[in-house]
Amino acid sequence: MVGSSKGLVFRYIIAFALLSVMVFPYLYMVLNSFASWDQVDKSIIPSSFSFRSYEWLFTGGEGGMSRPWIRSFFNSVIVSSASTALMMVSGAMVAFALAKMKFKGRDFINNAVLFQMFFPAIILLIPTFLIVQNVGMYDSYLAMILPKALSLWAVFMYTNFFRAIPDTFIESARLDGANNLQILLKIVLPMSKSITTVIFLFLFMERWTELLWDMIVVRSDHMLTLNVLLSQMFGPYGGYPGPLYAASVILTVPIIILFLCFAKQFKEGMQFTLK
Amino acid sequence: MMKKRFNGTGWLFASPYLFYGVIFFIIPLIWSFYLALTDWNLIAPVYEFIAFDNFIEAVQNPGVQAAFFVTFKFMGAFVPMVIVSSLIVALVVHGLPRFKGLFLIGFFLPYLASGVVSSLIVKGLLSYNSSINVVLRESFGLDIDWLNSPLSALLVVAAIIAWKFTGYYALILTAGFEGINKEIYEAAAIDGVSAAQRFFRITLPLLYPALFTTLILSIGVSFGIFTEVYQLTGGGPNYATNTWQMEIFNQAFTNLNAGYASAVAIIASIVTFVAIIMIRKILEAWGKRNGWV
Repeated sequence: MVGSSKGLVFRYIIAFALLSVMVFPYLYMVLNSFASWDQVDKSIIPSSFSFRSYEWLFTGGEGGMSRPWIRSFFNSVIVSSASTALMMVSGAMVAFALAKMKFKGRDFINNAVLFQMFFPAIILLIPTFLIVQNVGMYDSYLAMILPKALSLWAVFMYTNFFRAIPDTFIESARLDGANNLQILLKIVLPMSKSITTVIFLFLFMERWTELLWDMIVVRSDHMLTLNVLLSQMFGPYGGYPGPLYAASVILTVPIIILFLCFAKQFKEGMQFTLK
Repeated sequence: MMKKRFNGTGWLFASPYLFYGVIFFIIPLIWSFYLALTDWNLIAPVYEFIAFDNFIEAVQNPGVQAAFFVTFKFMGAFVPMVIVSSLIVALVVHGLPRFKGLFLIGFFLPYLASGVVSSLIVKGLLSYNSSINVVLRESFGLDIDWLNSPLSALLVVAAIIAWKFTGYYALILTAGFEGINKEIYEAAAIDGVSAAQRFFRITLPLLYPALFTTLILSIGVSFGIFTEVYQLTGGGPNYATNTWQMEIFNQAFTNLNAGYASAVAIIASIVTFVAIIMIRKILEAWGKRNGWV
């Protein structure tokens, strides 16, 4: 039944139609970013195209609307990369301790991680902002990076994965004289490539598209991330939809490319997380 | 001997969490309870202790009351939307002999969109002169002000977030489908089971663990809506899309009522925590009663 070729062609047509509906908003975004300004948001496929929206962005806008679009892109890169890197390192370290080391207090730390992970984080927003302000980090990269330097979810995922690695690998390395750091770097992490990809992609995506936190801890124009700048321009400057679509493309395309580069490992890694 | 040596290094490896847990969890947690008992406005050097006045004011505030109900209304719209759409995607994709992975990756792409970007696109698609609205007006005589009527604004925001999560949940459900033993279907076919019976009596129970995961995840998402609402409606019209996040953000960073906003945040956390645990229990009981778990 399912195997009949007619049914199969039908299934592919449905699958393709569904996929088209799902990626349509992206297509709409790209088309409108290249549309002539009088064509933006007028029809599904604009009738004339131009690069004016991108020129507008790269020259920083016109008529006193100059905003640091290019700089904000690099701010996003700096903040997302640094934050994600720290979350990966701290996640792997803590998880290694929880999964593969024996020490007093381990169960306590493990329970604390789980408790904090399921604790509604909204309660922490205002006081965390005040901490950042009080230590003089307001309006800096550190304000965006340090409070997001550890991900409980990353600790949780790594811990589960590390636990599945047989202890014999670790014991034999230990007998060969390897210390814990060497075991983590040379044995455990190389065995965890696919889960590392999954964790990296989810963390980076989330960091890249963060709005609320990056919006409240930064004030200066030149410190804004691209996502926050786009959000700011969205409201009051509705008269420039073309450039906003172009900025959306610039915000979205890098993350899609990054995802597609790791798509194969991502799929393998997801298989573990879904078991 | 061995155990002793591991001891210190264990704490050393766990130290990032210890620092983080103290600085970004314990201290803010205590601080938020302290703040909630004051009338501090984020700027003034002096403030007073007002005991539970903030909490009393909060529960009587229309914005807070709206946030409580909007979360559940939002859940009522978003959860069915995203479950049905991801179920459809998983149903269509899981039986494909080729390119299944490629399709799943394609469906996952919306997850990568920033809420700001998806809001921008939807605002464009629903603007007065957009082709959708022109067609609706000219062919059907429908003039819908999508983001300015309470029900449609809520549904639009729910749909944007459903769009984002469909591919992710479809991935989970597809893995669930793949875990089902094909022989059961063959046996059912021999017994002459109808397609509807097959879905409700075989597929659904065996899919329940994956479905449970997506349900819990999507319910969790319902409690954390901010970007789309901030971008499209600002919580309006008339609090129809005023989520907890939106209310807390407005009180703390627009009106600068840090003390009061902390009280709202504590209420929001308690409501979220209790609601999620209760819903979980109900789902588990429901699964058990039907013999699915």
